[in-house]
Amino acid sequence: MYWSKRKKSSDVPQLMDVFESEHGQQGRRSHLLGDERPNEEGETSQPQHSSNIKAERGLTPKKKMKIEKDTPIIISEKPGLFSDDECPEESHNLQVQGLNITVGEVRTVSSELILSLDEPTVKEPSQEEMEEEEMDTKFLSGDKKKYVQKFRQFWFKIPEFQGWLAEGDSPYKAFCTVCNRDMRAGKSELQRHCKGAKHIKLMAKHQPLAPISLSEDITTEAGLPQSVTFVDLRSDTVTRPSRAMKNAMLEAAVGDDAFSEDPTVNSLEKKVADMLGKEAALFVPSGTMANLVCVLTHCWGRGSEVIVGDESYMYQKMQGGIAQVGSVHHRIIKNLPDGTFSLDELRSFFQDIDTICPTTTLVCIENTHNRMGGKALPLSWLDELSAICEELNLLLHADGARLINASVALGVPPSRLVARCHSVSLCLNKGLGAPMGSLVVGTQEFITRAAKIRKMLGGVLHQCGMIAAAGIYALDNIVSQLSADHNHARAIAHSVLEEHSSSVTVDMKAFQTNIGFLHCDNIRVDAKKLCQRLQMVTDSEEQEIEEKIIVMMLPITDTVVRFMTHHEVKKDHVKAVAKKLKYVIQEFDNMMFDHYKV
Amino acid sequence: MSSQVNGYEGCRVVDMRSDTFTLPSQGMKEAMMAAPLGDDVFQEDPTVIELQNKMATLLEKEAALFVPTGTMGNLICVLNHCRSRGSEVILGNLSHVHIYEQGGISQLGGVHPRTLQNLPDGTFSLEELRKAVRKDDVHMPITELVCIENTHNVAGGRVLPLEWLDQLGSTCRELGLPLHMDGARLMNAAAAMQVPPARIVRDCASVSVCLSKGLGAPVGSVIVGSQEFITKARRLRKVLGGGMRQAGIIAAAGIYALDHVAPTLQRDHAHIKAIAQAVSDLGSKAIFVNLEGVHTNILMLECDLNVLSPTQLCERMGQITDEETERHR
Repeated sequence: MYWSKRKKSSDVPQLMDVFESEHGQQGRRSHLLGDERPNEEGETSQPQHSSNIKAERGLTPKKKMKIEKDTPIIISEKPGLFSDDECPEESHNLQVQGLNITVGEVRTVSSELILSLDEPTVKEPSQEEMEEEEMDTKFLSGDKKKYVQKFRQFWFKIPEFQGWLAEGDSPYKAFCTVCNRDMRAGKSELQRHCKGAKHIKLMAKHQPLAPISLSEDITTEAGLPQSVTFVDLRSDTVTRPSRAMKNAMLEAAVGDDAFSEDPTVNSLEKKVADMLGKEAALFVPSGTMANLVCVLTHCWGRGSEVIVGDESYMYQKMQGGIAQVGSVHHRIIKNLPDGTFSLDELRSFFQDIDTICPTTTLVCIENTHNRMGGKALPLSWLDELSAICEELNLLLHADGARLINASVALGVPPSRLVARCHSVSLCLNKGLGAPMGSLVVGTQEFITRAAKIRKMLGGVLHQCGMIAAAGIYALDNIVSQLSADHNHARAIAHSVLEEHSSSVTVDMKAFQTNIGFLHCDNIRVDAKKLCQRLQMVTDSEEQEIEEKIIVMMLPITDTVVRFMTHHEVKKDHVKAVAKKLKYVIQEFDNMMFDHYKV
Repeated sequence: MSSQVNGYEGCRVVDMRSDTFTLPSQGMKEAMMAAPLGDDVFQEDPTVIELQNKMATLLEKEAALFVPTGTMGNLICVLNHCRSRGSEVILGNLSHVHIYEQGGISQLGGVHPRTLQNLPDGTFSLEELRKAVRKDDVHMPITELVCIENTHNVAGGRVLPLEWLDQLGSTCRELGLPLHMDGARLMNAAAAMQVPPARIVRDCASVSVCLSKGLGAPVGSVIVGSQEFITKARRLRKVLGGGMRQAGIIAAAGIYALDHVAPTLQRDHAHIKAIAQAVSDLGSKAIFVNLEGVHTNILMLECDLNVLSPTQLCERMGQITDEETERHR
């Protein structure tokens, strides 16, 4: 078979290996052509065929690669690609093990055919993914079709594109974050751009997009980071604003919110109030402050009291703020595994109530319930609780940090979940993906007093319309992606379930939203070890699963590891995480306890 | 805006109610959009870290912490210094912390405020300070902090004199009390005095500086202090609800402000001085200024109440009459 060497970029060292086929043909470099790059007019000569074999010349020594049976081989006849002077004149006549293939034809090659090819360093996406992502057809007038290259996710893995490549405004555009300019999504165009002098200069100055801490394990011997995928599942708060969200932020009209003159904040507050069926809302910097403001506003007088679940965020993770800065006493009620608590126990708190001296009592619920595994509170329980609160004259506050997740999981509008709550706190900075911000929602009178508390706490941001714009964008565009997050969490859990391992287990019934728990048996592996192992990449793992991926999860107890999916975790990430989890679990299952080193 | 504006076509609006109204410029917005981000609660946001380092270096302190507002900055600093039960802070009776922060230090922190009479130049008497420090007496709270404000808002944006600051520093050292500076407009003070800001805060154990005022960032303040102070301050920030996530997006505006806007503050001062000079040249008995008191970007117009009240003056400034436009044609 006659092959031709493709033009290489200058910073990749040229390999001078000579290809010897099993039939002794020497002196020709081999390369299986595949990249149907469009020329300037966006046209290619690619025959209409759905599946291809692609490979690129890489840096590692050649390896034998078996071609699957019945796989057609496509060879491009574009003259530009045959730029090598070693290309023999008979390039159009190819011989593979006695098989005569003419360029332009498509033939089925038998499975016994084994070719020697250089192994690609960059993992090619699977065939379905390529079909989805790669090309888009623009129909011009008449029957003429134009193939336009779409942005390919797998370009992120290419080393020379790391640190600056981002998706552009449209699927056909790419964006250089360092030079701050758009370009057409085409690999050659990107390569041309990253060799430009201005780009190189800016790259030297600019901080790369990669996260700060790069584990030693993923560097090569020269200390250079290899192309690794990071999937951060520690929390859904790590979501960063996308380019479209940033554009919305840039264009927002702002004013001074201290004087209630920021139009974007006002519009966000109105939007959220309407969404939750309440009268008014108030923008605050964080969820902690939102809950604190609600408690302090409700518990305005001396002798107020709060009832919180023992596993609730407000009790466990707000540093006792209710007591510390609010001087409000709180009573604990036991949380049940589904995030609720016993209504009988609640009633029992009020059996000896002194009706002559009423005190303000606020009941706080959390929906979804974080520490119980992202559980959405059952509607029937919510209705019963509201009835009891009305009966006993108690105020009801919903910590709805992930309220929209609950709404998506139950398939009801969020206003239904908080219909009889006197106040709600809602976070935009979690699964919804805004960089920061939360809202306090309630009656107009409540919000007026809450604004005062917010001022005292130091939560009155001035020109925060830019952040409110991110919140508006999130509510308009990202809410629709939340159900995918839930599915992804279940997919990851399912991959663990499929291993049928005893060292790491999951409870599939517990997966309602985007939060998941992995239970470690504490014999072969504990939570900390599992998290550490997931953040490492070993050579054998890389060979086996053909992925270099670092997964970050959070150990919340000695035996429980928590992960949260969010909209930055896409389908291919989930697949990679699943593969890694399976491999790691198998590793734990197979280990000899004494010899295992983390 | 105010209703007086609505009736007028083609009029310019100059908003001088506060320097918090500053909007981010195009360059600042671009800096915000290009900033690398991370989760600041995990301390992984590189832009926030850069801003904090920058501020700490600028004020020659060990560490800094990015907070959403100046109010929270002061609250964190006071609560951080005054940790024991029954503690007290000594501060001026006209200071922002005492008057305009809703008594948060008491309401939230249980700290008692002991006030000293603020003199017209924003300082207070050091003799009074010495007398105010509590003795070990069962009737009395325990003094744990002295708090000053530079520039002093109510006093008209006055800059505290350096000699007084040095004397105060040595007095506090002698008394064993830390000194906190509410430096919301510290950069204005530095620009007016033509000294580096680090010199002004040399004797201060902690400082809170606002980026959202004259410096023009949309949101944000920074507190600086020793490493240990800032580590504990981080906890206080969290409990108050100031732990922001991808806060780098606004920290980037702060960095831009320190780089590009801070050097231009003198221009604001010159503008105010021009206005003050113009009012003073009129020699009016109804509205007058004290030219000596105009140090930075704040101007106080005093009104003779027999003629008009400040509210009336503001209303009139918000209107445009026909004679006025005629005269300036």
